Amino acid sequence: MKKFYIGAALLSLLGLADALYLTIEHVTGQTVRCTILSGCSEVLSSQYAVVGGIPLAAVGAAAYFTVFSLAILALFGYRFAGKILTPLVVAMFFVSVWLFYLQAFVIRQFCQYCLISAAITTCLLSLVIIRRFL
Amino acid sequence: MKRLLPFIIILVVLGVALSSAWYLTRSIPAAQNPPGNQPPASPGSQPSPAQSQQPVLTGVPGAEPAHTAGPATAPVKLEEFGDFECPPCGMFHPILKQMQEEFGDKLQVTFREFPLVPTHQHALAAASAAEAAGLQGKFWEMHHMIYDHQKDWAKEFDVRPIFEGYAKQLEVDVERYKRDVDSDAVARRIMQDGNRGHSLGVKGTPTVFLNGREVPFEDLPAEKLRVVIQNELRTAGK
Repeated sequence: MKKFYIGAALLSLLGLADALYLTIEHVTGQTVRCTILSGCSEVLSSQYAVVGGIPLAAVGAAAYFTVFSLAILALFGYRFAGKILTPLVVAMFFVSVWLFYLQAFVIRQFCQYCLISAAITTCLLSLVIIRRFL
Repeated sequence: MKRLLPFIIILVVLGVALSSAWYLTRSIPAAQNPPGNQPPASPGSQPSPAQSQQPVLTGVPGAEPAHTAGPATAPVKLEEFGDFECPPCGMFHPILKQMQEEFGDKLQVTFREFPLVPTHQHALAAASAAEAAGLQGKFWEMHHMIYDHQKDWAKEFDVRPIFEGYAKQLEVDVERYKRDVDSDAVARRIMQDGNRGHSLGVKGTPTVFLNGREVPFEDLPAEKLRVVIQNELRTAGK
């Protein structure tokens, strides 16, 4: 069980770094220029990149930080944290699926940092599922 | 102590995250806005001093003859590397037209193709359409038409009939246009412009050079670009 929480904490740290970077890109407008590698300018300048005036990437950063905090608390024996962790990760996964759909079929551009975040969330969900069946 | 340890770890991570974000935000040049979404002009909206400090670059030649507007004797020569599907390029387009109107014969504009493939699925088709029209002397007309209607075609599945429609509207010989769009001559021009862009270190669009010096992206809003051009005019007049 400890390995699960350590894995979740490490993955959420990666997610936090990715989401923080995206937030900074969004706030400073660095990705506004189009580049060969990235469709982030289209994704971050779309109407879906902001929720209630807050950049979605910042919401993601907060979510990853919450996962990290819960995993650390659970690692040190706080049982309530482990109970909250699972539904939070499941919710994050469904949000990621929705964002992937938006990139693929509505905006029709992929931002690699958003894809990295989706991959991290999928790994987190895999950990949750594996823990449930072990 | 063990009871406090998780909270200490959480606080340390929070502190590192916030201070990293603060440091990175400060180290990146002033908050940038899309060229078409610039804040209102104010005494504080001076261009960054970076442009005048940029080295003068020559690079390899692009397609010849280049698509230019304005006299070859103009003291200020602006070269844009653009992608017709890129939204910031679409926003920069009216700004450049405004600069051409304001500076008249003092400004010569050159457009270079820099389609971002595969980021933009129709960028190459749009560049080919403009170049094919260019073979019939209608490059700038097609260029304006494609940028002015960027939002109309960018999300379409098949853009070729749309561009053929534009060619027809511009009284381009459509049969010849259809042959030219897929011709080696058009492909070669796009590749040559791309090679020039790569030799100048162009990584994204729009990238603008003024008398061989790159204009920082944050200086592309109209009120800043105007000052950059005025400064260049003063330097050229010395």
